[in-house]
Amino acid sequence: MNKYFDRYASVIFALIGMLFVVESRNIATSAYGSQVGPNMFPMGLGILLILLSIRLFFESWKASGGENKSAPLQHKRFLVILAATCLYAYFLEDIGYVIGTFLFLLVGFRVMGAESWWKSGLIALLFSGGVYYLYVDILQGTLPGFPSWIGF
Amino acid sequence: MSTLHYLADGFAVALQWHNLIFAFVGVLIGTAVGVLPGIGPISGVALLIPVTSSLTGGLAPEEAATSAIILLAGVYYGAMYGGSTTSILLNTPGESSSVVTVLDGYPMAKQGRAGAALAIAAIGSFVAGIVSLGGLVLLAEPLSDIALKLSPADEFSLMVLGLCALSGLAGKSVTKALIMTVFGLLLATIGVDAVSGVDRFTFGVPQLYGGLEFLTIAVGLFALGEVFKTILENDGSEGEIAKITRVLPTKQDLKDSVGPIIRGSLVGFFKGIVPGSGATLASFLAYLLEKKISKHPEKFGKGAIEGVAAPESANNAASGGAMIPLLTLGIPGTGTTAVLMGALIMYNVQPGPLLFDEHPMIAWGLIASMFIGNVMLLILNMPLVKVFAKLIETPAKYLIPMIIAISIFGVYAVRVSIFDLMLLIACGVIGYFLSRNDYPLAPLVLGLVLGPMIENNLRRALTTSNGDFSIFVERPVSLLFLVIAVLWITIPLVMKMKGKKVIVNEEA
Repeated sequence: MNKYFDRYASVIFALIGMLFVVESRNIATSAYGSQVGPNMFPMGLGILLILLSIRLFFESWKASGGENKSAPLQHKRFLVILAATCLYAYFLEDIGYVIGTFLFLLVGFRVMGAESWWKSGLIALLFSGGVYYLYVDILQGTLPGFPSWIGF
Repeated sequence: MSTLHYLADGFAVALQWHNLIFAFVGVLIGTAVGVLPGIGPISGVALLIPVTSSLTGGLAPEEAATSAIILLAGVYYGAMYGGSTTSILLNTPGESSSVVTVLDGYPMAKQGRAGAALAIAAIGSFVAGIVSLGGLVLLAEPLSDIALKLSPADEFSLMVLGLCALSGLAGKSVTKALIMTVFGLLLATIGVDAVSGVDRFTFGVPQLYGGLEFLTIAVGLFALGEVFKTILENDGSEGEIAKITRVLPTKQDLKDSVGPIIRGSLVGFFKGIVPGSGATLASFLAYLLEKKISKHPEKFGKGAIEGVAAPESANNAASGGAMIPLLTLGIPGTGTTAVLMGALIMYNVQPGPLLFDEHPMIAWGLIASMFIGNVMLLILNMPLVKVFAKLIETPAKYLIPMIIAISIFGVYAVRVSIFDLMLLIACGVIGYFLSRNDYPLAPLVLGLVLGPMIENNLRRALTTSNGDFSIFVERPVSLLFLVIAVLWITIPLVMKMKGKKVIVNEEA
């Protein structure tokens, strides 16, 4: 698995390097006539990245069979939390900080194995409300408040 | 004379009541970060950057930077104290620099000497902290005076050396470490170029004009990356926690630890100054040294107090030593100091030789606060060690979602942008897969932090030489740095090749 990851990674890094090299040719050249324009540094680095990727590619062929880490991965748990995090971040400004954080934590606690709804709900409420109160009311920071359709 | 004067001024800053509170909060959270499995010093510091920036919002810019860096540095060295607690009580290190402590700390706990082990670890950490601070005070002025004389070409080469040093020692594969370094440098070029004002690699995305925010990347890669790892790989089985009976070590324990603590402090300090080696290597080295010179090497691994005292002193001294290249040269030698440097830059403070001239309040205030913080940590860790031990029992099911929520809160509070939140989550996923496959993340962050400065010095040097690259090898200082940089990368490679051959020979 490790071996395959390295092989794919080397291709991806080489592509990233190429992207930077190609794109740095499109950068407008410096206005004040210096020979050292804004494109030189990224282009050099891009070439370096391609060379290193080629080296990694060959190293991954030489490496004899990747050692598989035997611990079973909890893919389902991870994907649910990842999805919840994405939704939470994406809708943060729409539903407001307190509601969003409360819902995210509630889902997170349950997915991670908390049995009691009551305890999870209480901790989630204390955390989301506490952070909002401390940050917005005491420290005068800005967080998305409650959505306007709620009425306050 | 002037150093003492500056140090006195520093204490005047550090003893202001709000800075005392910042130092206390820093070391308290640092100890907790060290104790809690799943958050290491890097992610702890990264997570606290946004919190400190909102806490210091009401202060004048320089005072805000001073208070913030006092708190963040407190987290850094506080984590070194806390890391020993889980090693000793739970047989799992809280962070990588306490890996060696497990070898003798856990056996001691099983023999009912957990309290003694914890106390010696705290005392050793304290002595080491003071030793490394003494070194920092002595070396800060002379080093930054030398650094001030460097030309742009020299500085460029010095930064290349710093990057090579970290890459050469990070992780199993030098190629992977170098790829991460170059990738970090490339990411740093995104955004509007500071010299010419043209935008680079923004692809018309307005959020990219300001460049990728360092904080978002660091929190994503380290904090979220580690959290995702715990979610995926931790099956929830928890080890048994050893009981603490008496906290004070016996006289014999103290007598046995004096030597190891002093030797560990010195080893750690010098290892810490060298960029790239860091606390983990320092603790390994100190342990091996003690085992080699001990009259009873067979005791090691079965609960020898020397095996706790030496590595715990070394990792603390190393974290103090690592502040030296950061503050005087502007070259962070470890992942955590790279994050600290990013935090300083966020406050428009440029670490490096000018720091001591332009912002003596920040530099000396930080140094003085580290003395105070170490005293606080000793007090916190001796009588309150039982309280911290309770933290280990914090259930992961509550802790993990909360770390995610804190990451989201922190990035949003500083950036106020959904784009950065999405970038944060993407960095978390990428960080998990990269570190799982032995791609070290610290070089990437270091590249991201140093990128603008390296490019700036490169272009200044090349402008003076009319685009002639030979300027870097014609100047003796610059040449010296580059030669060391090349050696740093090649010597481990050569040794590895030889080492491999030796192993092959043994098998055949």
